[in-house]
Amino acid sequence: MELRPDSLLLVETPLSMSRLPHEELSADAAETARLVQLTLSGDSAAFEEIIQRYETRVMTIAARILGTRDDARDVAQEVFLRAFKYLHRMDVQKPMEPWLVRITVNVCRDAARTRQRRRDTFVAVETPDAVDGAEDPHTGLVRKQERLVLRRILDGLPEKERLAIVLRDIEGLTTTEVASILQSSETTVRSQVSRGRLRLKAAIDRLMGGHQ
Amino acid sequence: MSCAFSREMLALHAEGDLPAAAADTTSAHLATCVHCRQFLEHLDARQALVKSLRLETVSRADCEQMRRDVMARINDGRDRSGWMLRVERAVLVAVQQRSLATAAFLVLGIVSVSVLAQMRDAGPVVTQVATLRDGQEDMQRPEGYRNWVAVNQPMEPGHRSTDASATRMLRSPNDRVYIDPAAYRRYVKTGTFPEGTLMIWESGGRGAPLDGPHAGSSQLLASVKNSARFDGGWGFFDFTGPDGAPASTAQALPESSGCRTCHRRDAATDHVFTQFYPALESARRGAERVEPVGINRS
Repeated sequence: MELRPDSLLLVETPLSMSRLPHEELSADAAETARLVQLTLSGDSAAFEEIIQRYETRVMTIAARILGTRDDARDVAQEVFLRAFKYLHRMDVQKPMEPWLVRITVNVCRDAARTRQRRRDTFVAVETPDAVDGAEDPHTGLVRKQERLVLRRILDGLPEKERLAIVLRDIEGLTTTEVASILQSSETTVRSQVSRGRLRLKAAIDRLMGGHQ
Repeated sequence: MSCAFSREMLALHAEGDLPAAAADTTSAHLATCVHCRQFLEHLDARQALVKSLRLETVSRADCEQMRRDVMARINDGRDRSGWMLRVERAVLVAVQQRSLATAAFLVLGIVSVSVLAQMRDAGPVVTQVATLRDGQEDMQRPEGYRNWVAVNQPMEPGHRSTDASATRMLRSPNDRVYIDPAAYRRYVKTGTFPEGTLMIWESGGRGAPLDGPHAGSSQLLASVKNSARFDGGWGFFDFTGPDGAPASTAQALPESSGCRTCHRRDAATDHVFTQFYPALESARRGAERVEPVGINRS
């Protein structure tokens, strides 16, 4: 099992959805804006740099929403192709990551519907690579089994609740950010999050036993 | 759990998602309700389990494979955008560049001003059809004047006007006199010629030359009302070139040409011989207007 500390960093990275004056753009955002301009002027190598910057983030979110590595890879591919196609519509005064996350969520929705149509009785759920080098092999296996069960439970949630839970509780975004990505109100997001948490708790209690 | 307190509130309270007032209410209830405290503790444990999914990530190999696939499709042009999207991109990219945006706004402004000027009922100066050069006494030949309002009715070949004065003003029965449409409309409406009024006299080129003030070799004459520039308010121009063909520009004719003197003395209305032109005469008298020919309705 591979230890990937950068994944933890990604989890802790907040999404800044606020509009920033140009002079206040961070060096990182300015570099992204430069890469966008280069891409728009025909430099595809610049777009490859953009992919490198955000590929882990996009793939991780897709994997957490869809639950499978193959689906996540397909989704990420579609996300970056759409981003390339509509790059001229992106506001370079704003951070790129929320824009990509919004595309990712939309593509995941499409993929989930496609997957639902082709799914009959068999559900192939797999967990992405787990990271927990501090545990002994037995504990690690137990944890992995728990996460596998969790993934199945999460996958069974209604789509809107699943998206709200993934973005709010797993990605750690604020309610405001989640509402922006889902193009919904904060009140609606709170409602989806609370229902999702209660459904998850009930499902975990049923499978693992515990407080009802 | 026997307490009826809202579980949805507790579910939001677990992660600090409640607004301040609701959070205070929930905290106050938790302080007194052991059932809800137990439920919240259990919910916290489940939430910790859910958050353990944060430890899942994707491999670098998957990312690299995905990136290679994307770049291959982009470089192969397999995902080439449609023409509308390409146009949209070109426009938006251009707008993002200040110089191009400035040029675009200038072009837009010029087009808008031009369209608005043509839509106006009558402007004080007919700059779109005749240009008097600043600081110079010459004028550019107006284009398209044959589509203006022809104020003298065409005469049949061999026709002899009963008005000797009118006939005398024309060298040939086929000579035509035009007025720019905006000035014509203003004149019909107000009875006065607005600043910028432009009139054209064009030789018919056929018929026996008559003995009149326009006799001679002139082919194309113009008069312009511009009180700021010309004594008496009107300037007179002869666009006849040395070879008889119309010239592109013309100098203002001097006082010695006699144009102004004749027009001031004999014309019925402000240097214009409205008495000879039915379309103008009827408007001047306020009588039933004779429909002119060649009104430019554009």
